[in-house]
Amino acid sequence: MRGFGELESVIMHMVWDYGGPVTVRELFDELSQERSIAYTTVMSTMDNLHRKGWLQRVKEGKAYRYTATASREEYSARLMREALAAGGDTETVLSHFVAQIGDPESDVLRSVVRRLPARRPE
Amino acid sequence: MCLYALAVARYSPAVLARLSATGVSARLGLTAWLAAIASVLASLAIAFQDLVSAAASGWHLLAEAFCRSVTGHACAPPVYRSAIFEIPIAATALSAALAAAVLAWRYGRSVQRAQQLAHAHSAAALVTGRRLPAASGTVVLDAPQPAAYCVPGRPAAIVLTTGALALLDPDQLTAVIAHEKAHLSGSHHLLVALTCGLSAALPGVPLFTRAQAEVSRLTEMLADDAAARHSGRPALIAALLALGTGAPVPSRALAAAAGDVTARVQRLLQPAPPSPRARNRLALTSVTFLLAAAPGLLTWLTGPLAAHVVALPWW
Repeated sequence: MRGFGELESVIMHMVWDYGGPVTVRELFDELSQERSIAYTTVMSTMDNLHRKGWLQRVKEGKAYRYTATASREEYSARLMREALAAGGDTETVLSHFVAQIGDPESDVLRSVVRRLPARRPE
Repeated sequence: MCLYALAVARYSPAVLARLSATGVSARLGLTAWLAAIASVLASLAIAFQDLVSAAASGWHLLAEAFCRSVTGHACAPPVYRSAIFEIPIAATALSAALAAAVLAWRYGRSVQRAQQLAHAHSAAALVTGRRLPAASGTVVLDAPQPAAYCVPGRPAAIVLTTGALALLDPDQLTAVIAHEKAHLSGSHHLLVALTCGLSAALPGVPLFTRAQAEVSRLTEMLADDAAARHSGRPALIAALLALGTGAPVPSRALAAAAGDVTARVQRLLQPAPPSPRARNRLALTSVTFLLAAAPGLLTWLTGPLAAHVVALPWW
């Protein structure tokens, strides 16, 4: 496993891409084609994701069927709202590369850009 | 000592701001600001300690003098050593200590809350985003708004949006990542959190208010330096302009542009010539040494003087 939570991320993206409810076995079959991984690792990771609120599950026979609690777009939008919220705690925590658009200053910069040669990067 | 602290808190911001305005040497500028803060805090601590020890050693004499002025004649020791005098002074000391504790607790709690926020945000971003194979700990979120930021946390994350990727060419992208990596490896968020906490805990102190803005500006410039070394100035400037305005900018086309971003761009476009740069470095270094040495020097100088004052007959 490379890096923190890498497998969690891979599995979440597989669940999102899968569309419908999915079992551990189905994801394991797909995942074991591209990497050597133990069934129990996939199972415990999905259990973790369920515990952390990323996945919800319903029992079907002897196995669980997992679905994502929210779509990838919803999570992205939530993170963006948090990241771009002015004021509050996030402002001191996250360090943005450059001030956001809408800043009065960016009008000055926009005029600078307008005066640049009109070549765009390919 | 108190006078020194007041003077530094009141007058140093103007001097420091002038010296560090251009960001010729962002690192020295940052050190000078931090030295001013440390100097004020240290001299205040020393002054407080002096006050407490003076009060402790001179208390009975003070109480006797006060007692005499109230009653019109000398009091017997049991009177001024009684609870009437000791309770108010104990209450004053206690409430001062309590106020300090509340401030410290509030500061600690806001830091802790910010930390939890950072952990939650980076953990969620690392799951939701797609990993950028070229850079570890960097994820891309599906979002139209162009944004690039880093989240200090365990683990830390650098987050880019698809909106940002659309505006950057590969060189500009590595410049942005190098900039954010410099923030994380330099633990810049700790410096920003310190100055934010101080200006929130002790509002209205010019030094702390000003330091908050200046420290954040200078850490940006430090990260810019790292990114410029890594990917070159043109790529970095183009990335700043592209993400600052939301329009793609070719790296080769550059122009001179009033605000923080503009200062960052201008500084990268027109580096100061060597001789003013050396003078600025020398000035910043001397100011830093002066600020660092002053509390100790003042204690050494005023020590004998203070002893004389305490030993005066009326006291």
